[in-house]
Amino acid sequence: MSEFRVESDAVDVEKIMEQIRDRIKEKRDIDYTEEQIREMASVKLERFLDPDKVRSDLVEHYRQQSKDRQSKLAFPDKLKEPPPAPESYDFDHESIYRSGRDGIIGTVLYRIRKILSPLLKFYINFGPIIHALQVQREINERQNEAINWMVQTQAEFIDRVTKLFDLSSSRLAAREEIDALNYEVMNNLVVEMTRLSIEMRNHRMRVESVAGRLEFSERRARALEEAVQYRDDPQKQGSNKSQSSSSDGSEQKRRRRRRSRRRPPSRTDAASIENSPSTELNDDTRSTPDAAESSQTTENMEAAASPLESSTSESATKSTEGTQERKESEVSTTSEHASSDTDSSKQ
Amino acid sequence: MKLAIVVQRYGAELNGGAELHARYVAEHLNKHGHVEVLSTCASDYITWRNHFKPGLDSINGVSVRRFPVSKERNPADFGRRSEKVFQERHSFADELAWLSSEGPTSPALVKYLKEHEDDYDYHIFFSYRYYHAYHGIRALPNKAILVPTAERDPALGLSIFRPIFLGVRALMYNSFEERSIIQNISGNNHVPGVVVGVGSEIPPRSSAQRFRQNTGLKNRFAIYVGRIDQNKGCDELFRYFQQYAKTSSKLDLVLIGNPVMEIPSHPRIHHLGFLSDTEKFDAMSGAELLIMPSYYESLSMVTIEAWAMGLPVLVNGACDVLHGQVIRSSAGLYYTNYEEFSETLKLLERNRELRLTLGRNGRKYFQENYSWPVIERKYLETFDHLKDQDKACLNHTLEPAPGWFSRYRRNLAPSSEILEQLPKGPAAYSSNGHDQTLRSQK
Repeated sequence: MSEFRVESDAVDVEKIMEQIRDRIKEKRDIDYTEEQIREMASVKLERFLDPDKVRSDLVEHYRQQSKDRQSKLAFPDKLKEPPPAPESYDFDHESIYRSGRDGIIGTVLYRIRKILSPLLKFYINFGPIIHALQVQREINERQNEAINWMVQTQAEFIDRVTKLFDLSSSRLAAREEIDALNYEVMNNLVVEMTRLSIEMRNHRMRVESVAGRLEFSERRARALEEAVQYRDDPQKQGSNKSQSSSSDGSEQKRRRRRRSRRRPPSRTDAASIENSPSTELNDDTRSTPDAAESSQTTENMEAAASPLESSTSESATKSTEGTQERKESEVSTTSEHASSDTDSSKQ
Repeated sequence: MKLAIVVQRYGAELNGGAELHARYVAEHLNKHGHVEVLSTCASDYITWRNHFKPGLDSINGVSVRRFPVSKERNPADFGRRSEKVFQERHSFADELAWLSSEGPTSPALVKYLKEHEDDYDYHIFFSYRYYHAYHGIRALPNKAILVPTAERDPALGLSIFRPIFLGVRALMYNSFEERSIIQNISGNNHVPGVVVGVGSEIPPRSSAQRFRQNTGLKNRFAIYVGRIDQNKGCDELFRYFQQYAKTSSKLDLVLIGNPVMEIPSHPRIHHLGFLSDTEKFDAMSGAELLIMPSYYESLSMVTIEAWAMGLPVLVNGACDVLHGQVIRSSAGLYYTNYEEFSETLKLLERNRELRLTLGRNGRKYFQENYSWPVIERKYLETFDHLKDQDKACLNHTLEPAPGWFSRYRRNLAPSSEILEQLPKGPAAYSSNGHDQTLRSQK
């Protein structure tokens, strides 16, 4: 018997499937980008923060549930009425001989049966049967009475339960209203709490930033004060000595003028460094948080303050030397100062 | 040579897999000898209600003899009995009661088989799981050839069928997977068995343009042909396709067949209902690929037809047969989850070269294995082979059924448990004719 021929070339299905599986695996790794992960992570928070996304139908849901419960607890009217009792049958010793027919035929039949009763008794003993049926009749009657009593009691109980239920359902309805309010209040509280916590965090960051700036300004002010004090003393000494000192004074004025040209007089130095449009800020540094910016600026200003001090002292000591040398020192001071300014502004 | 083809239902308008299979085989073997179909009067496979008149009939030149069904199926009773034998410990008698409940119960057919055993050289029984096959093969094992059309369903684990698989003269399997699972469950490796399948009638000309004109469809599309049923994996297909449609794909999905489930309303899913063969093949010729989402198939004639049309297929990899067929033919891809579905469909949608190559492989696979001359030759060779052994098999009998007491002993394991223990996965073909199993042994 011949068998199946399997010949295929050019395409290897298993190989293609392997490649597809590899691609899927790679995709799985690549597909979940940072953005997607953030998106997935933010879902919970968003739901929490956005009041629109909180399930507003919960109250309805609870109400509906309680309505269902109410309908389930309603009693059917049947329970208040006794079930119809079967017709009672008076059974005595003569019942078995009586005929179902009325009139003469019934009487005749009764008589015949009565006459033949000894013969019947010969075959069957009716005594115990008649006795059992009589007992059963009595039992039935008692049972009927008992059932009637039970149904009456049940009806009373149902009335009582219904009243209680009405009372509790009205309380429940009131409670539901309160629950709805509680829910709304709680929902709002949660939303507000979340909002407040975020605002508080923002405020904390802003305070830190302001504190950093303040500290920086204080340091800068101190540095400037020291520089000014140091410079005042040699000026006073120099005014009494020579003409060269007057030329030195004019140099100082020129230097101040130059400095004042570089900095707007209405602002503090630190503010001018941070806010001046001429400073070379790139986008990345602009986006850094305030606190970090301020701390970095403080550090840089500390560094900037020291070359400023050194340059001014240098110029003071060399004031006695030639004009050329003074000019050189002035140039170096201004250049150093400029560079220090630029460095600090870059931060 | 006179052959009897015994099948549960038979009719030109019946489109069930096994029934259509039987009709095609009957019509093609009729050219090589006299074929008579023995079937029931039923047309509905759920109730087996008598629909056709009993007696002789002729359909497409093949004589058909129909016998009445004595008892309609009670679906509730059948469901209860199925639950018992599939899920609980049970007895041999429970299994027989299940079979009787499943139907189509036709003692007249079995009686006829017994009385006219000598009128036919061989009896080809279709569908192992029905009343007619079990009792028919028990009545005349000497001349019985079985086309099991078995799927991986719990009925296969029932003990009543083991002697049937062991006792027939030969088995004509639909796929290597079917052969593998039956051999695993019954140990019938010594019984002659050929993987044959069924051929397909493809019209010489089909027109995609005509289909597009008739339906007004303009986009490229994938096609599904068959009953639109949850049991055929259509719910999963709809879910996956709707998800896939959200991507940059421009492929539509065209559905052909009667629905027994709700079809989602989607602008890219088009249901065309039941179409004639010409319309169906027109649609296939216009399609980019065929999608076969079914989990349980013993062969899938639609897949074969798609290959005959040079159409690549995308099949559900969870179905062992389809998975194996795709690997053997190199004419399609498979998926086992949405990601694979999406990637494979995208690949087939965008890679024209791949589509054409897979389609070419499919056509070649069809011509070499499923064209009618090949199928007919395999049947005829099997008959010749059996004829050589006929003398030696004169006293060939089936393993007797258990006695009265042991029949009622509840010592049989639930069939679903038995099925679970069988290896899964596609069976690969090897050059020595034995199927190597790619399956994971549980």
